[in-house]
Amino acid sequence: MKKDSNKISTSDGGMSAEAELLQVSSSPHMKARASTRSIMIDVIIALLPAYIWGICVFGNRALLIGAVSVISCAAFEGITQFILRRPVTISDFSACVTGLLLAMNLPVTVPLWIPVVGAFFAIVVVKQLFGGIGKNIVNPALAARVFLFSWASDMTGFVKAGDRVNSLAVNSGADVTASATPLASLNSGALPSETISDMFVGNISGSIGEVSAILLLAGGIYLLFRKTITWHIPVSFIGTVAVITYLFPKAGDSFDFMLYEIFAGGLMLGAIFMATDYATSPLTSAGRVIYGVGCGVITVSIRYFGGYAEGVSFAVLIMNLLTWYLDNLGMPKRFGETVKKKKES
Amino acid sequence: MAYTFRGGIHVNEYKLSSESPIELLPDPSEVRISMNQHIGTPAVVCVNAGDKVEIGRVIGDVPKEALGCPVHASVSGTVKAIESSLVSAGVTETYVVIESDGEGRLCDSVKPYGGSILDADAEKIAGVVRSAGITGMGGAAFPTYAKILSAAGKAELLIVNCAECEPFITSDHRVLLEKSAAVIGGVKTLMKAVGSPRAYVAIEDNKPHAIKKMTEVLENDSMIDVKIMKTKYPQGDERQLIFALTGRELAAGKLPVDAGCVIFNAATCAAVYEAFLDGTPLVRRVVTVSGDCVKEPKNLSVPIGTPASALAEYCGGFVKDPAKIVFGGPMMGLAQWDADAPVKKNTSSILFLSNEFLGKPSSSQTCIRCGRCVANCPMRLMPAYIAQSVMRDDIKGAERYGAMSCVECGCCSYNCPGKVEIVQYIRTAKNRIRSEAARSRSSANDK
Repeated sequence: MKKDSNKISTSDGGMSAEAELLQVSSSPHMKARASTRSIMIDVIIALLPAYIWGICVFGNRALLIGAVSVISCAAFEGITQFILRRPVTISDFSACVTGLLLAMNLPVTVPLWIPVVGAFFAIVVVKQLFGGIGKNIVNPALAARVFLFSWASDMTGFVKAGDRVNSLAVNSGADVTASATPLASLNSGALPSETISDMFVGNISGSIGEVSAILLLAGGIYLLFRKTITWHIPVSFIGTVAVITYLFPKAGDSFDFMLYEIFAGGLMLGAIFMATDYATSPLTSAGRVIYGVGCGVITVSIRYFGGYAEGVSFAVLIMNLLTWYLDNLGMPKRFGETVKKKKES
Repeated sequence: MAYTFRGGIHVNEYKLSSESPIELLPDPSEVRISMNQHIGTPAVVCVNAGDKVEIGRVIGDVPKEALGCPVHASVSGTVKAIESSLVSAGVTETYVVIESDGEGRLCDSVKPYGGSILDADAEKIAGVVRSAGITGMGGAAFPTYAKILSAAGKAELLIVNCAECEPFITSDHRVLLEKSAAVIGGVKTLMKAVGSPRAYVAIEDNKPHAIKKMTEVLENDSMIDVKIMKTKYPQGDERQLIFALTGRELAAGKLPVDAGCVIFNAATCAAVYEAFLDGTPLVRRVVTVSGDCVKEPKNLSVPIGTPASALAEYCGGFVKDPAKIVFGGPMMGLAQWDADAPVKKNTSSILFLSNEFLGKPSSSQTCIRCGRCVANCPMRLMPAYIAQSVMRDDIKGAERYGAMSCVECGCCSYNCPGKVEIVQYIRTAKNRIRSEAARSRSSANDK
């Protein structure tokens, strides 16, 4: 810079005392306001209605489990980043999203160490050891949930909606109803005793945050409206499950069976909030559709033929691993390329 | 129904100066005129320090066979020095510094075109345009005569690019309003030159005054139509403009003429008209002076070579300290490190932006794979994957994901929530791909 060039631009510099230097950088010189943090806050807002419903029907213990899970996730994120000498990024709230999702995927009766162990697995093993946000290859909350299935009896202690568990002790001590979730009866080949409207509203047993289909859908619509997610994954995932279950019902009327299947278990929570996790899902439209269809097919296959009642977690984790290939498969045709190829043929 | 394209983004327009009429900036005491004012061969200085020059005198010329056009003195006065300096684009440019005598004398060579334009052919019109030193004034600065010659007889449609999709810039908007006759005259001359039977004046729908004015002026014209474009960035990119108007997609590496089109900027058309009308070469242009630091954002007609600081001073100085000075728009413009950087033929605007406007540069640039860059890319590339490949030093990968097709519009970086400077990574990829190609070519020649 010329010596006296900045006479009129009396910049205070901000960086060093003598600096009256102008910034030079690559274009663009303006940026949208949306940040990783604002996106994570949007996801939390979208999850809250279904989670609050969970607290209402499953009791105050649901709130405690959520708090333990979120705080553990944030703490593990901070501690790991500190030890690994990475910038500590708790303030982007991504660990809080993982914590909330993990809690919503647990039954209300789990002992309190379960969310702590889950948070450790999700944040330390699945997320930070793979490089942190955006670099993990499988969804942290889902991987933690599947890891926690090692304590199978703790992870299946579902209670009926309305049987509020308010114990805040380490072990809930709740008298767990032996009655199966609607999904379990569907898998055994019978329509559940709950009505479809109970399923839709969330008057059923299940994990804390997965029961209310309508509130999860409302959250999904909010995310679509905020352009946080696109329609591709939820629609292709739920649509595939709907089509297969309609065509090959295991019990009762095709349409009823289909409705029970899509409102049962973790499908809504999984398809709207877990399968759409940025880091572990494709970012091309075509890739997203194939991924959603794959999730749907695997979910129904596990529900129909698997030994385990729920298929969504496994389906999403399996499809997570194919993300890179699906993005390359779904790479859009470049501007001008489509036309060129038509001319040549 | 307004014409538009797929992808792209909506940005805050910040058209602060759209109501401000063009004001004539008095000749500054000194101008620094660059010899790199166009794509192609830089001009060679043909005056010496101490020479007396007048407005319109050729001070730098390019050999006839090379791509490029002459550079003219924009003020009358004395050549003070010939110097060269490194500019922030990364190249060293030669400047002719002229001290103005404030008299504004015209050079003898400036005289109206003698014959009738109706008798002129492409060659002749291109010759006049070349000696007037006219380049594309929208940003790329491609010599206009070369565009005329390459499109002559091949373009069925001439498009006047008045999209002005970049935020802040209003210079073309004002030119359309205040110099509509010159623009239309230039369009007709250029239509004659390239032999195109139709022309579209493409204006974004955020400029209703300009649309109204041009529609009125062109009411009885059967060959030139006003086309209203949806306001979306980057509508002014020539590929997106052609697609929006004709439905034709132009692959990377192809020129508009391959789609039967030729595109000129509105200010360029006006400059062509003036070159014929009174013989004035391109020595002044309309520059938007704007940004959140400028007291009164204005549109100024300024001599080429005027330092940016003089423009800011004329606009009442600063209300905030500028942290960045950008030539061009905020999306694609070039940040300058010198507050005295001179106006060039393609400087449509000069923006003075504060730290508050720019925001804090993010310390961590982390891709969260949200996919916004892929969804917004008007060229339908994979920006996130290109950036990732560059970070991994995988240049082949960057090429596979489309680095070379990138037009650097900046939609990806703009919307990136992880604040990754994607365009910068893509530029790195392009440089690496080019230099590797050059290296393999030269090693092939060695064998």
